Amino acid sequence: MELPILPTSVIGSYPKPRWLLRQYKLYELGKISEEDFKEAVRDASIAVLREHERARIDIPWDGEMGRSEMTEYFTAKIHGFRFYGPIRVWGNFYFNKASAVSKLEYREPLVLDEFRFVQSVTTKEIVKVPITGPYTLADWSFNEYYDTKEDFAMDLAKILNKEFKLLEEEGAKFIQIDEPAILNHPDEVEWAVDVVNRAVKGLKIKVSMHVCYSNYYLLADYFDDLKVTQFALEFANRNFRDMDFLKKLTYQELGFGVVDVHNPRIESPEEVARAIRKVFKYIEPERLYINPDCGLKLLSRDIAYRKLVNMVKGVEIVRKELEREEKTSIPFRTLRDI
Amino acid sequence: MRIIPALIGSLPRPLGLAKKIELYNIGRLSEEKLEEKYREYTRRAFEKLREAGVKVVTDGMYRWDDIFNPLIRYIDGVEVNGLFKFYENNFFYRSPVIKDEVSLLDNPIPKWVNIAKEILEEVYPEATLKAVLPGPVTLAYHSLNEYYESLEALARDYAERVLAPLIKELEVEIVELQEPALASELSRATREDEVHISKEIARVVIEELGKLRKLWVVTYFGTPQVVPKGVILNVDLVEGSLPEGVSGEVGLGVINARETKMERTDRIRDRLLKLSGNFSRIYVTPNTLLDFLPESVAWRKLRLLGRLGGE
Ligand SMILES: [Zn+2]
Repeated sequence: MELPILPTSVIGSYPKPRWLLRQYKLYELGKISEEDFKEAVRDASIAVLREHERARIDIPWDGEMGRSEMTEYFTAKIHGFRFYGPIRVWGNFYFNKASAVSKLEYREPLVLDEFRFVQSVTTKEIVKVPITGPYTLADWSFNEYYDTKEDFAMDLAKILNKEFKLLEEEGAKFIQIDEPAILNHPDEVEWAVDVVNRAVKGLKIKVSMHVCYSNYYLLADYFDDLKVTQFALEFANRNFRDMDFLKKLTYQELGFGVVDVHNPRIESPEEVARAIRKVFKYIEPERLYINPDCGLKLLSRDIAYRKLVNMVKGVEIVRKELEREEKTSIPFRTLRDI
Repeated sequence: MRIIPALIGSLPRPLGLAKKIELYNIGRLSEEKLEEKYREYTRRAFEKLREAGVKVVTDGMYRWDDIFNPLIRYIDGVEVNGLFKFYENNFFYRSPVIKDEVSLLDNPIPKWVNIAKEILEEVYPEATLKAVLPGPVTLAYHSLNEYYESLEALARDYAERVLAPLIKELEVEIVELQEPALASELSRATREDEVHISKEIARVVIEELGKLRKLWVVTYFGTPQVVPKGVILNVDLVEGSLPEGVSGEVGLGVINARETKMERTDRIRDRLLKLSGNFSRIYVTPNTLLDFLPESVAWRKLRLLGRLGGE
């Protein structure tokens, strides 16, 4: 399979349409049926998928319309977790932090329905399925059952591995493991790498790992050990400074973050093009994918869309330049190729 | 030996109260109505603390978003910046950016303390109320310093120009200083490093504040590297250990406020028994802020804490 050079993608989340947020509220209050709520989510998924496609994103996703949050969505479906109530993240924002109270078991698929639906309505050949990784799920949960956090995370890895294999069987080609917490405790990174590797064991498809707002120099020490095809990292937020750690990325791909998701200012296409030319000093074009820094959900929908449009326009400027060197497409690399 | 159950810092902010604050923030609830709600929830908290047998209390910091806010909004020379991770927790605070010499502005904190005192007097008069403030060392470490030549100079000014005038206005016997940095940051500090505060300076600024009011210095996420004289030091026994040189009265964080699993009281009692010879009085407390737990679990743990009390 071939993709245009510098394939464009997203990290995952996208602003939910306001009307969908209202359905979430109504559903929470028991004022609409589950069936109606699910229909609303599916309609929103199509709308966002089309938005990604209209922006000419090569590898889209549905913007996680059916997920209210990035850990609860998973922990609620894994047997052995329970919820005691919300805890505050900051100000008046709360999330439902799960507690592992017995051995964790995989009893139902986590995102299979989501994937099947997106796959059935997209016009693109490949979509990216983002899933919160085992270390982050453990780090953002309480542990009442396991002797060690490592045992806890390892069981989550085994569960996710089952899900990944199921997705692979169903035709998924590209999974992204979101591990925003993996560098939070430097003395745990060593075993966290084993945990991620356990989660992807035996897979043959493409697997990216997304890590954001962290010390990438620490991550770089483990690039070679992590059995993933790609690292999707954030650069716009740090103004494309201090990229020397990329010297250690010698064979895997980079998902290069060129859109700041914490700033409503819309990057110009030329700015995006400049950033891409800058990263060529470290990574050859054949190993580069282009994406926003992180999920876009904190932005307004209009701004998120315009940022994606300009991101693709910026990529197209550089593609023209690469065309002169007869670089127009790249093979879709998977775990089999590394 | 006396063992006295005590609260440190905040209680989880009840969801119902958070909703009211949000309504107020978007202009759909009046200030008077919000104030009523604060008092109502504070009253409920004191009633539950009484039922739990927690003898030394705080107001639960329901009016605070984190240990720094809103105090830093009432400091001249400070701007309030975006969200930063509070240690290794999935909990974020707004950080002070130091633009100029700091000094305390007019602020409602003394009034809030008096309101809590009045409510406590009605529902739980036997209890002792502490007022809670962030300590100077932790404030300095969590600031983005764009003005002072060193973090030490900033910590000194926080103590002398912000906390000292504020403490003088608080009508309570005990002031609690939240000082996790004495354990966490100072244990990582090296002497050559200019972006650190020396242990000596940390000790001195706190002891100076201790001359104004009795201080209860709460440390967590490690072992305190400094033992200021004349204060009640609170030590996190879940993630740290008791340093040398602590005697008299001590606060011991024996309940894990970062895990939902319930402790076994017999094990805690055994542990306290071993330590009891060294102190005239032991306050037993959660190891850190209860904000990190769901509300229902936090209260279950406080009731467990209450059962540890006694001679
Ligand atoms: Zn991210």
